[in-house]
Amino acid sequence: MQLDLIDFTKRFGNTTVIENMSLSVHSGEMIALLGPSGCGKSTTLFAICGIHRIDEGRLLFGGTDVAHLPSQSRNVGVVFQNYALYPHMTVAENIAFPLKVQKMNRIDREKLVRKYAALVHIEALLERRPAQLSGGQQQRVALARALVRQPDFLLLDEPLANLDAKLRLEMRSEIRRLQQETGLTAILVTHDQVEAMSMCDRIALMNGGRIVQYDTPTAMYAAPEDQFVAGFLGNPPISFLSGKGLGLAAPGVTQYGIRPEAFGPQFGEGVSGRITFVETQGREDLFDVQLPTGEILRSIQPAGSGITPGTTVDWGLAHDQLLRFDQDGTRL
Amino acid sequence: MRRVNWLGLAFLSPALVMVALFFLLPVVLTGFFAFTNMSTATGVTGGEYLLNTATLRSLADDGLPKDMLEKLASGGYRVDAEGLAALAAATTAATAAEMDRLHGGAEFAERRDMERALKDLRDNAIRKTRERKAAADLFKRSILNERFADEAQFAAALAETGIAPTHAAEITAGAYTGWAWTTENVSLLFALPSTLRYAANTALYVTLTLAFSVGFGLFLAITTFYLPKGQATTFRAIWFLPRILPPVLYVMMWRWFTWDTGFLATFSGYFGMSPKNWMLDTSYHAWTAVVLINGFVGSSMGMIIFSSAIRAIPTSMLLASEVDGASRWQQVRWIILPQLSWPILFITCYQTLSLLTSFEYILLATDGGPGRSTEVWSLAAYHTALNNYGGNLEYGLGAAFALVLVVMGLLASLLYFRLFNFKRLITTPLIEG
Repeated sequence: MQLDLIDFTKRFGNTTVIENMSLSVHSGEMIALLGPSGCGKSTTLFAICGIHRIDEGRLLFGGTDVAHLPSQSRNVGVVFQNYALYPHMTVAENIAFPLKVQKMNRIDREKLVRKYAALVHIEALLERRPAQLSGGQQQRVALARALVRQPDFLLLDEPLANLDAKLRLEMRSEIRRLQQETGLTAILVTHDQVEAMSMCDRIALMNGGRIVQYDTPTAMYAAPEDQFVAGFLGNPPISFLSGKGLGLAAPGVTQYGIRPEAFGPQFGEGVSGRITFVETQGREDLFDVQLPTGEILRSIQPAGSGITPGTTVDWGLAHDQLLRFDQDGTRL
Repeated sequence: MRRVNWLGLAFLSPALVMVALFFLLPVVLTGFFAFTNMSTATGVTGGEYLLNTATLRSLADDGLPKDMLEKLASGGYRVDAEGLAALAAATTAATAAEMDRLHGGAEFAERRDMERALKDLRDNAIRKTRERKAAADLFKRSILNERFADEAQFAAALAETGIAPTHAAEITAGAYTGWAWTTENVSLLFALPSTLRYAANTALYVTLTLAFSVGFGLFLAITTFYLPKGQATTFRAIWFLPRILPPVLYVMMWRWFTWDTGFLATFSGYFGMSPKNWMLDTSYHAWTAVVLINGFVGSSMGMIIFSSAIRAIPTSMLLASEVDGASRWQQVRWIILPQLSWPILFITCYQTLSLLTSFEYILLATDGGPGRSTEVWSLAAYHTALNNYGGNLEYGLGAAFALVLVVMGLLASLLYFRLFNFKRLITTPLIEG
C-alpha cells in the first residue's frame, strides 16, 4: 500500500521539531529514515503509527487520510527498539494479542500465531515467557506480533540497536527476508547507515527535522546532494579537502570530497604525503595520509602492503569519483 | 565458626529493646491476661477475703450443703469479754458491767434481739438508736461481710464458726476477691452466641472494606494515570486526604454529613423526606457508613501503591498495545491489570491484617451500633476490656478476644511470608557472593 506524508509539521510545546516534511513510500517498498540522533526520524515514525499527533499536514494510507485517526484504527505493525513484549504473557499470547483485541476466535488466532511463528522461526518457543528469551528471539517475537495482524505497513524503530554485532548481521537479513516474503511496505528508523543501505530500497536521510535527500542507497552514495549526505554515508568516512594540497582548482568549488577507495597507488601518482596512521581491518588496511598542507586523506587498500606509519607515499586520485561542493555545501 | 560481632549487637540493642518492649511484651501480656479472670471487681493486684450474700449464693450454686450455708449466714451476736471491753470504751464501764451481769455469755441470732438487750438495760439503757446500733455491732461475731486481709485471718475466723474443715478450702476460694488463673475465658468465647456474631461481623467488615478499597484504589489509580499530570496530582492529593486527616476529625466530618440535622438529612429534606440519622438509622446504613469510612482510607493507600506500579510499566509497552489495536479498556484489562497482580496481592494481605485489628474508625463512627450490628472482634475486645456500659471491665475476657486476633495475625503473616516468598527476597544476591 502506498504511503504519503504531505506537509507534515510536528511541534512539542513551542518547539517545532519537523516542519512541512513530505515523504512517499511506494507499495511493497522498504525505506529507511536515516539520520543522527535528534533529527526527527523516530518522531516521524511515531506520527505515522499514531502515537504522536500530527499537528499539520496529511497522512495518506493508500489515498485515505488517516492523520486524525487514533493508532488503534490505523492498522500498522510496529517493532519497538526494546521490543515492548508483554512480560506476563507467553510468546504465543504476545503474538496473538493484536488478534485477541480484534475479538478473533481462538481457532483462527492459533492458526495465525503458528503461521507467523513459523515465518520468524520461533515455533519451539511459543510457551515461553519473554524473560526466558535471548535478545534475538525477543526480536523475532516482536516481528511476529507486528506481522500477525497483516498490517498495511510495518514500522521498525531502531530494531537492531539492542542486539550484539553478530545477531545484528543475522537479523538484518532476516528482517529484509520477511519484508520481501510478505510484500509489506516497511519503514525502518535507524542511525546506522550500514543498516539503512543494506536493508532498504530507498533511504530518506534526515537532518534537523527535514529530509535532506531521498534516493536509492547506490545513488545517494555516488551522488550525494550535499556535504552532509556525503559525510554521513560511507564507512570509513569521506575526507573533505580544500583542493590546494591536491593541486586542484575549479571555479566555485570550495571543498573536494574524496572517499577512501578513490585514493591510492592504483590511480597512479600526484598526491604525496606521509602515512600517520594505519588501521588493520583484516581484509583491508586503512591509511591516514597527511599532506604537506596538514590536511588528512584516507585511503583503503587490500591488506598486505606492508606500509608502516612514517613512510612517505605518492599516490593518485580517481578523478571520476571526486565530489565537488560549493561554499554552501551543495554538490556541483 | 563465625565470631560474634559484639559491636554490631550493641548497635542493634536499642532496636531490640524497642521490639521487645512494644511488640513482644504486649503479646506476652495479652497471653497472660487471657488466662486470668481479672476485671474491675478483682483488680489487677492481689485481693482480700470476704464472704457476703452474693458469695453465699454462688457457693450454694456450687453445691455447698445447706446447713453450712446457714451457719455462715447466721453467726449472730455473742456477749463476750472482748465485746464488753469495747462497750466499756464506747460508753461507760457501768454499762459494760451491767451488760455482763445480765447477759454475760449470751448469744443472739438476730440483730433485733441484740439491740433489745441493750435497750432493756435497767440502769444504763442506751436510748439513742444510733448509739445502740453502734453498740450492737461491737458484739457481732459473724464472718459475713467482714474483710480479712490475708488467708490466715480468714481461716481462723472460719474455724471459729465451726465449719467442717472439709469445705474450708472451697469457701476460702469463694471468698477471695482478687484475680485467679482460669481457662474459662476461652471456653466462654466459644460458648457465647455474641462472639459468633462478632466473628461474622469481622468477616463481613474485612471482606467488604477490602473489596471497596482495592477496587476503588485501582479505579483511582487507573483513571488518574490517563489524566494530564497536573490534574492527576491534584486528584491524588485530594483522595489522599482521608489517610492524612486525624481519624477523629475525619469521622467527625462523616457524622456531620449523616446526622439527622446534617447535610444528607437537610438535603433529602428538600425532597420531602423526614430527617433521620443516615449513619445509625438501620444496620444497613451503619454498615454502609463503616465500609465507606474505612474504604476511603484504604483506597487512598491502594491508589498510591497502584499508581506507582502503573507508572513503572514501560511506556513503550502501553504504546505497543495501542498500535496493536487495544482500546483503553482492553489496555487496562490485558496489559495494566495483569502487571498489578503483585501490588494487589500486597495491598490485600496488608489491609487484611490491619483491618482485623483496627477499630478506631468504627469506634468513632458507630461505636458498634445500632445495637451490636457493627461490633467487630477487635471493638468487642476493646469494649469488654476497657470501656463498657456496665462498668465492670473484664480484662481477662477482653485479653482472650485479643489473643484470638494475635493468633490469627501470626498465622496470616506466616501464610504471607510463604506467599511472597520472603526468604527468596532476603537471600544474598548471587552476584555478591
